[in-house]
Amino acid sequence: MTVKFALRAIALTIVGLFFLFPLFWVVLMSFMSNADILRNPPSPFFSPTLHNYIALVSGQLHTNVGTQTVNYMLNLFNSTVLSAFSVILSLILGVPAAYAFARYKFRLGEDMAFTLLSFRFAPPLLVLLPLLMIFQSIGLYDTYFGLVWVYQLITLPLVLWIVRGYFEDVSEDIELAYRLDGHSWLSTFFHISIPLAKPGIAAAALLSFIFAWNNFIFALILGSSGVQPVTVGAFAFVTASAIEYGQVAAALVFSIVPTLVLATFTQRYLVEGLSLGAIKG
Amino acid sequence: MSASAVATMNAHPVVRRRHPFLGRALPYLLSMPALLTCIGILVPFAMAVWYSLERYNLAFPSTRGFIWFGNYISLFKDATFWNTVIVSMTYTVLTVGLELLLGLGIALLLWRRSLVTNVLSVALMLPLMVAPAIASMMWKLMTNANFGIFSYFVSLLGFHDFKWASAPQSAMFTVVMVDMWVYTPFITILLLAGLRGLPRQPFEAAELDGVPGSFVFFRIMLPMLLPYILTAGLFRMLDSIQQFDIIYSMTQGGPGDTLMDFQVQAYTQAFIFTNIGRASAILMVLWLITYVLSNVFVKNWLRLRERARGGV
Amino acid sequence: MAFLEITGLSKAFKDHKVIDNASIAIDKGEFLVVFGPSGCGKTVFLRLIAGMMPPDSGDVAIDGQSMADVNPEDRDIGMAFQNYALYPHMTAFDNIASPLRSRGVAEAQVVERANETARMLRIDHVLDHLPKALSQGQKQRTALARSLVGRPSVVLLDDPLRNVDAKIRYEMRFELPRVLRRYESTVIYVTQDYKEAMALGDRVAVLVDGSFRQAAAPREIYDSPNSTRIARLFGDPPINLLPVRPTPGQAGIEMNVAGGTVRLPSDRANLAGRECMFGIRGENIAVSLEPNGGIPMTLDAITPVNNRLVMLLGGNDGAELFASCPQGGSLDHLRGRHNAWVTLDLTHAHFFDSGNGARI
Repeated sequence: MTVKFALRAIALTIVGLFFLFPLFWVVLMSFMSNADILRNPPSPFFSPTLHNYIALVSGQLHTNVGTQTVNYMLNLFNSTVLSAFSVILSLILGVPAAYAFARYKFRLGEDMAFTLLSFRFAPPLLVLLPLLMIFQSIGLYDTYFGLVWVYQLITLPLVLWIVRGYFEDVSEDIELAYRLDGHSWLSTFFHISIPLAKPGIAAAALLSFIFAWNNFIFALILGSSGVQPVTVGAFAFVTASAIEYGQVAAALVFSIVPTLVLATFTQRYLVEGLSLGAIKG
Repeated sequence: MSASAVATMNAHPVVRRRHPFLGRALPYLLSMPALLTCIGILVPFAMAVWYSLERYNLAFPSTRGFIWFGNYISLFKDATFWNTVIVSMTYTVLTVGLELLLGLGIALLLWRRSLVTNVLSVALMLPLMVAPAIASMMWKLMTNANFGIFSYFVSLLGFHDFKWASAPQSAMFTVVMVDMWVYTPFITILLLAGLRGLPRQPFEAAELDGVPGSFVFFRIMLPMLLPYILTAGLFRMLDSIQQFDIIYSMTQGGPGDTLMDFQVQAYTQAFIFTNIGRASAILMVLWLITYVLSNVFVKNWLRLRERARGGV
Repeated sequence: MAFLEITGLSKAFKDHKVIDNASIAIDKGEFLVVFGPSGCGKTVFLRLIAGMMPPDSGDVAIDGQSMADVNPEDRDIGMAFQNYALYPHMTAFDNIASPLRSRGVAEAQVVERANETARMLRIDHVLDHLPKALSQGQKQRTALARSLVGRPSVVLLDDPLRNVDAKIRYEMRFELPRVLRRYESTVIYVTQDYKEAMALGDRVAVLVDGSFRQAAAPREIYDSPNSTRIARLFGDPPINLLPVRPTPGQAGIEMNVAGGTVRLPSDRANLAGRECMFGIRGENIAVSLEPNGGIPMTLDAITPVNNRLVMLLGGNDGAELFASCPQGGSLDHLRGRHNAWVTLDLTHAHFFDSGNGARI
């Protein structure tokens, strides 16, 4: 009995360590000076400094050849704008459509749902290359507008997928009762259907936000320094040669803190959305 | 209340208005915006198909022209293409296989609810929330040969001067590690939901009957979990075969050709060799594979959904 | 012209015709019970009248106006659902007030009318609760209040007493008609319980195989069911149905039943020589333990049910009969098998065609 318990405890510890240690260490690195980072053997004992974060926020980065001006805060802003607007647009487009799919079995709907589903699994680069050509010719390259529309490829299927299942669970009798009371279809949709599907809509919105925030390839190809989100911005950091590693770590931390905080406070919705969305659809 | 008072309350003017059009059109009206966005994607798709049938290199604009399946033929004759196929397959098999095993193991560990497992379940979600590209960059920092903490750890185990992603032998190992770090929690969450949804009776009966644990596991639990395992597996397979973010952020496909999977190879062809035609052909081949796989997935998933709904 | 006219209504789901050419005319202020076994389409029928979905064919007309293309919110119908369908995110008061608020009634009036209706249904003390905090009986009465408060001209009640416990069901059987009469609405009440149907309705319409096979006062359906199916649906114990072939004999028309011979009244002469189904209800069978000229049978089992005794009798020819009689008689504490002599009250005899079960 106790052997089993000990084994379980060891296994759980190893699992916990494996998944949490990298996060922990990167955060630690972000508070280290360059000298501390380069010390061999590495040590968790050091005097922490806010140096790296200040550099990032102020935009003045320290390298061994002087200072460089990099606007990482703009990247953070871009991520927020792109993710938020993509989610909002997806909700506006997707929630009514999810309702239509849930309530009405119409041929076109099933075909559409299938197409959307299959595109969710298609390689993004396939459509990104032609889109790059199109965007460049109509001036949408490196714009919020262009990227928000392309992000719909990620967020819209998610919203449709998850919200449809929740609408299917809303009792049609309750909707009929509200209409017999004298309310129009639109009033019923806003006062009954949507409030009763709120958990699903919230889960879909949260997941979409996180997926949009974490996207890399769309912004890499269709954007440039103007609308670069943190994922592409951090990449520029990592590959740039002379930047201090502590600052790189701080940039990485900045890029993951929003989603991690969001995830921690809404994890119940997320688990439900992820697993039920994948299964219940 | 007097009868006459009730009678006056009863009487009220009733107008029953007719709306011949709205009822029938509603579903289409509701889904039209989403539908249009759907159609929108077909345009670049068609263009990609077109490009793949052209000799199209931005560096040699005058040579642009239709060559039918010329790109595909030269692709299949090219050793680097087959290298791409092998790299993608290896990556897919390793990530999916290891993640399913590890994910199932962790799900079983976390099955019993306690304070520890609840906390761990939340903690486990965090890597999943990190952008794969960022995760790759994090690991890149930590596997740095000079100061990376992981390099230090493995040196303690006797592997001095382990080159991680800089060496062809260990590059695949490194990126698979990153993939596992990010995506195993996804499998775990899915399988945990599946486990928690399993009926208790068969297991209680088996315990009463004194059935050995291995039998319970292989003959009772696994078959019941199979739909979830398949769903998770196919999901990951579809993602791994077209992996871009993790590999690109780590090594952009290097060292040399070691990590050139489909999308990284296509990216390199398009943006470094400016060969749009060839890049599109590679992507079309990839698309075909994912299309077939996703059909299998959707059919299986629809079946699982019916079962889940039936049980609710 | 009737107030609510349903003509040729049909609705199919996936090749299964749930409602098949159903027609009925309902007068203003009438309390009609729609009765049928479970799964017979009663709920679909109500939903078609409410306008939740269009019928495949046929029409619903209210006050002379066809309801085709008229939305549910414009039909002036109130409906109480079997599962209550209360809005879970609103208090009982807001649920009841909903039909008034949608029509722009002044808030003061809304409060007054909603409270008045709630008081009449005795739920005025729980109006600030959310539906999940209400008992089944309170939920049912809230649903009823909501359906009535707007004084709709037509009220649809979908088996409202089904999910309510027995005691409240008993009380509501008296309260419901009283409340509904106050509002003077035309009511369609759906139920699977024949006793409820007979107790509540001015008329009972029996829905079988998607259409109305008989619509008449409850007593008439009980005494003169149109078919074997309808006869079987009404009555506890179920009506006894035996195949017979009346033949002309010396003393009149005779037939063999349960191993004995009985003589039919002369007005049944048209049945001579005809194969048919003979139906007789348990309460029209007298059982005696003494030979009295009746059919000799064996009394195989006897059980008290409600406040009657139900007996299972076996005939010499293998036939089985259910008979019932009030408790408090000589048979009360009988146990075991006995010989018995059975007399059939043929004034309450039913005859049905062997082939299609129609009443003769």
